[in-house]
Amino acid sequence: MTLSKNGEICLVLIVAVMFILPCLMLGLIYESEPYHVIPGEPVKAAADAAGISVVDVKGTLWNMAGATGGKTYTLTDPEGDIAYVAIQAFNSAESRDAAVRLYNAHAPGKGKHVGNMIVAGQYLIYATPANSPIFAKLVPALQQAAKTTT
Amino acid sequence: MSDAPVVNKKVLGLFALAMINVAAVLSIRNFPSMAVYGWSCIGWYIIGAIVFLIPISLAGAELATGWPEGGGVYAWVKQAFGEKGGFVALFCEWSNNLVWFPTVLSFTASTLAFALTPDLAANPWFMFSVMMIVFWGTTAIAYFGEETSTKFSNIGVILGSIVPSLLIIGLGLWWLGSGQKIVIPHFTLAQTVPTINLSTLPFFATIVLLFAGMEMAGFHALETKNPQRDFPRAMALSAVIIVICTVLATLAIAIVIPASQLNLASGVMQAIQYFFDAAGIAWLVGPMALLITLGGVVNLAAWLIGPAKGLGIVAEEGNMPPIFDRTNKYGAPVAVLLIQALIGSVVSLLYVFLPSVNQAYWILSAMTVELLCIVYILVFAALIKLRYSKPDTPRPFKIPGGMIGVWIVGGLGLFGTVLSFIVGLMPPMYFTNWAVYVGSVLLGTFLLAVPPLIFLKFKHPGWLKKQKSGEQP
Repeated sequence: MTLSKNGEICLVLIVAVMFILPCLMLGLIYESEPYHVIPGEPVKAAADAAGISVVDVKGTLWNMAGATGGKTYTLTDPEGDIAYVAIQAFNSAESRDAAVRLYNAHAPGKGKHVGNMIVAGQYLIYATPANSPIFAKLVPALQQAAKTTT
Repeated sequence: MSDAPVVNKKVLGLFALAMINVAAVLSIRNFPSMAVYGWSCIGWYIIGAIVFLIPISLAGAELATGWPEGGGVYAWVKQAFGEKGGFVALFCEWSNNLVWFPTVLSFTASTLAFALTPDLAANPWFMFSVMMIVFWGTTAIAYFGEETSTKFSNIGVILGSIVPSLLIIGLGLWWLGSGQKIVIPHFTLAQTVPTINLSTLPFFATIVLLFAGMEMAGFHALETKNPQRDFPRAMALSAVIIVICTVLATLAIAIVIPASQLNLASGVMQAIQYFFDAAGIAWLVGPMALLITLGGVVNLAAWLIGPAKGLGIVAEEGNMPPIFDRTNKYGAPVAVLLIQALIGSVVSLLYVFLPSVNQAYWILSAMTVELLCIVYILVFAALIKLRYSKPDTPRPFKIPGGMIGVWIVGGLGLFGTVLSFIVGLMPPMYFTNWAVYVGSVLLGTFLLAVPPLIFLKFKHPGWLKKQKSGEQP
């Protein structure tokens, strides 16, 4: 099978589109999280709703532009799993999204992150270990809380 | 631009080859994430070394000395599995970069912002502008050929990766020597054993691919003065530098900075600021940020140049349309570099302006893992197969132990990469629809791996460079 010059250019364009397509599709499928203020303590509320115990709580302020403070929770479930969940509020969508970019830029090597992070309203919520069953139980309640605005 | 074949200058020696590998693998941005594990990071690193770093170093040394041709993994896998296999291996190594480039570019831009004014990191236009300047600037360096990029790489990797690592290690030693408080429990052998369960299993793929890039020097075989002598030594030298810097610098961070401060993996500069503040040398944070920015650029350059050179060779062999095989007077594959920069720029644009789409990012990083695993699975399989299919090809460096040795090395490498491929498909537990996740990762991986088969389907003799010069194909 042979191609004309134009055919070759089309072939190159098709291949280029094949690269951009997955990124574009994912960007369209998963909606960006809008910035809005979620009231209360969403992690504590989600843990209570899911029957997960809070073992320890510490106040934290991440060293990032726009971070306004948050808490780090040590959580345990009836199965004995332990997870560390940190929540941090940001003063604007820009500073929150900058923190997301920073987080994404720090995956070790060419692999995945040590933990999981989700975005909910003004918060970034980060959990370790990455595949924590506790975090899996919290996420539905956190996503529900993300729909609540003041 | 020129279509004439370029005679490659032999400019690379042992040190330059080793620095290419170090540039590709050693990255300071890994240290805080790994330091979260405390002493058990030692165990994780040992796992990575046994199932990947040592096997890929030995395999690379044997294959590079047996087939010291241009193209790196392409040349090696082609010998074992033909053109199709070699092309797929190389293309996966190249295409995973296009997803990964925005990550390292963003790291570079945010580190530079930290040196200037941290608030700049919140400005997407600043981020995108710096990312593009770095990306196109690095592409420009590659344009000027091997000699220029080697000088840049040698200086950059020493200043941007090795010096900062040694500084962190030195501070860690000073911390210990001055009797300061160690924030992790005192060392016991038991604490070096990592916890491996369903929660931490996905991290296995990360730890294996932490050392990805050890084969990078193989792409520069045509410019190497004495590949048979220098490749094995360069592999050994680079592996030693990478292991020492990585393990000791990670431990230095782990003993000084509480895990709660590292918990977000909030960034290497945040960790270093904490570290330097504690050591009373806060004034060094800015200069350190500049050095680490340079390290990020060198890391990018290693991955940007190597696979692109390989693809240039594939194009010269007539496996891609002529539009890909344009080289300049410096021997740089300009068309591949340009196409790479254009696609990378578009993906970077999406990355910067759609940042809070975290599920999408997770899927993209999983695709990077899968594509890289395909490369290494093919390399390890080629290592084993070539011992059977081409036993008489002279190999100045041979994996010791005969066939048993090759099976152990290749087998460990295959085990590590196949398992990484499988766990790379595991979604985070909060993904409610596993099928959609796995389907997305596999579809994306397929789209980024399949173009070689399309090119080979349409391949015809007119694509061969010699044909255009009036020679017979």
